[in-house]
Amino acid sequence: MINAKKILLLLLLGLSLSIGAAHLKPYSGSIKDPVISLKDLNGTTHTLAQYRGKVVLVQFWATYCPPCVKEMPSMNKLQDKLAEAGVPFKILAIDMAETKAEVDAFVKKIKPEFTILMDETGSSIGQWNVFAAPSNFIINKQGKIAYTLFGGVEWDSEEIIEKITELSKH
Amino acid sequence: MLVKNILLIILSFYIGIIHAKELNYIELPSGEETEIRVFPAKGGILLIGFACDNGKSKHEEATSQSLAEDGIEVWMPDMLSTYMLPKTRSSYAEIPDEDLTHIIYEAISTNKDVYIVASGPDTQLLLRAAAQWKKEYPDYKNLKGAVLLFPRLNNGEPVPGVEPKYVESVGTTTIPLMVLEGGRTPNRWGLNHLSGKLAASGSQVISKIVPDIRGYFFKRADPNRAEDVVTSQLSGLIKVSLFYLQENSK
Repeated sequence: MINAKKILLLLLLGLSLSIGAAHLKPYSGSIKDPVISLKDLNGTTHTLAQYRGKVVLVQFWATYCPPCVKEMPSMNKLQDKLAEAGVPFKILAIDMAETKAEVDAFVKKIKPEFTILMDETGSSIGQWNVFAAPSNFIINKQGKIAYTLFGGVEWDSEEIIEKITELSKH
Repeated sequence: MLVKNILLIILSFYIGIIHAKELNYIELPSGEETEIRVFPAKGGILLIGFACDNGKSKHEEATSQSLAEDGIEVWMPDMLSTYMLPKTRSSYAEIPDEDLTHIIYEAISTNKDVYIVASGPDTQLLLRAAAQWKKEYPDYKNLKGAVLLFPRLNNGEPVPGVEPKYVESVGTTTIPLMVLEGGRTPNRWGLNHLSGKLAASGSQVISKIVPDIRGYFFKRADPNRAEDVVTSQLSGLIKVSLFYLQENSK
């Protein structure tokens, strides 16, 4: 009986920890006008400015970062769900200074369906004050950082979809 | 005959290792007694490794043995075991500074040049010890520098887009510091920032990125080829670090 109680308590604790592990937090830093100008895996240049009018998830990630890899399927789902709901939304996932060969091999295996950008010199990492991975930024339709989130998360959770949908209305 | 000779060589190698490590016990100002794994050597350098792993550090022991064979004496006090503390970040606060400096004092008493080394979050102990040493023993010049292997000194969770905050001991010491970080860890992007903060108190800080390895590479159960190679050559990496520190303390 005591064991069953303990197991139940542990399960509840685990559940609460997994749900509350990471949330979008209002941005508290000093970057006023974030900039991106990087090439994707096909060599096409993407800028953050060209997605003005959409909510953009900018993620800094690396193939060697386990939570980055784990959350990618949920990023695919987030993109699909928001597209179905008609929310103007874009994902730009910036690889943190790995080689194209490394990222190509990774993409073949994990199959992200969103835009992967290459930052082989690491220039944007410094500009965005990124010191850990995955580092996530939610950019509003005016091109400003609205929220940030550190660590792995289930991106297609109700909470995140609601926040992005709400942000897309302003 | 050949097989016999090989067996003899292997046997003598292992006997050599068994004889090389000694256990030393030091009574600390707090009243606790700490067990120190000592790898004696006749050279003029003594390296204190602040290991906090309850004696589980196999690779560190092999590295210490290798350093001792090259003339660098190594002491490995296990600071958490001394106080029966668990391996959590909050445990570091329970370790008195005076106990740390007492171990350095014992090392200095050998008349060797003393360096300290630690890895990961244990590096905060190293920084505290170095800062407190200067306060308690300002006239002693034999603490020559410290090696920080992939330091993890953030105070709290990183916030994207915001400069990291560090534990209090960052930027409190003046001894030369060598910082090594893995090339395949996001922490490499914070290396310049951390180095700047470490140097704020007057330390000469040299930082290097070791390519193709992840953080905690020598503790990993799934090392890649580069990590295997670097782990087996860790003593060489430390010797190079000591060389840089020696050059800086001239």
